[in-house]
Amino acid sequence: MKKWMKILLSIAGIGLVAGLILLYWIFNKPHRDVAKEKGIELTAQQLYDAFKNNETQANSLYLDKAIQLSGTVADISTNQAGQKVVNFSTNDPLVMINCTFKTDPGSLKAGDTITFKGICTGYIPDANVVINEGVLIK
Amino acid sequence: MKIIFPIVLVLISLLSVSQIQAQKTFGTRNGQIVFQSPSDEDVKAINNEVSSRLQDNGALSFSLLIKGFKFKMAEMQDHFNTQYLQSNQFPRADFKGTITNIASVNFAKDGNYPVQVKGDLTLHGVTRPVSASGSIQIAKGKPLAKANFSIVIKEFGVNAPDVTEKVTITVNCQYQ
Repeated sequence: MKKWMKILLSIAGIGLVAGLILLYWIFNKPHRDVAKEKGIELTAQQLYDAFKNNETQANSLYLDKAIQLSGTVADISTNQAGQKVVNFSTNDPLVMINCTFKTDPGSLKAGDTITFKGICTGYIPDANVVINEGVLIK
Repeated sequence: MKIIFPIVLVLISLLSVSQIQAQKTFGTRNGQIVFQSPSDEDVKAINNEVSSRLQDNGALSFSLLIKGFKFKMAEMQDHFNTQYLQSNQFPRADFKGTITNIASVNFAKDGNYPVQVKGDLTLHGVTRPVSASGSIQIAKGKPLAKANFSIVIKEFGVNAPDVTEKVTITVNCQYQ
């Protein structure tokens, strides 16, 4: 076999393997695991204040970011997909920080002070700031 | 005269308070909305953090965050956010509308009531009128809203010709 042919074949082989790896990666790319990320540390009130005062700025600071949030639990519920949801209270009785857990946080009750880490998806005025994919820190 | 004025004021304020109380509002912060391509069932995303308010006079609103949509494939979720819906620029979608046949819903009696909904949907920064049929199910005094309708995404300035032309939206919200 001629040398140039060997080179050509090996390049094609490498290309094929790389293509397959890329395809595999696209179909099996893992979802974000917030437990492994370092979160921006905030209190529930600080996060709400940031969105209330300047939503655009807060979006650029916190949207899609890992947030490590401390606050007081207002209520605990289960969403329609069976995940645990905790609302953190703010100084506005209508507005909560709505946090959905990816893993079960165990027993929590209203009034507990906890730290939660999750991904911030944004702000719905007069309702809540939403964080999901969360885990309990303490 | 001096005494009548404060009495009238008190009466007016009492009247307005009772009017506010007469209107009942149901709400949820964790309703469910599913986006799905009618042509490819793998293209499906679920949002479990839908804020919604339903009033017994027929007013109905939904708000959700685009980044709250979860796909089975992480790569698809990235594309949906960055290339198709630009969720950094347009993080939220809102619907404001009314149930046009609200008189046929008896919030005090358990049952399943078919409803017609009309309103404006804002998605990707574009607002357009939409209408849907669905149902309100009352169980133990708490409503469950269900609806199913489809939108042509091009009309909202979203171009994904190689993925889908239409998106089916399924609403399933349990109110407290």
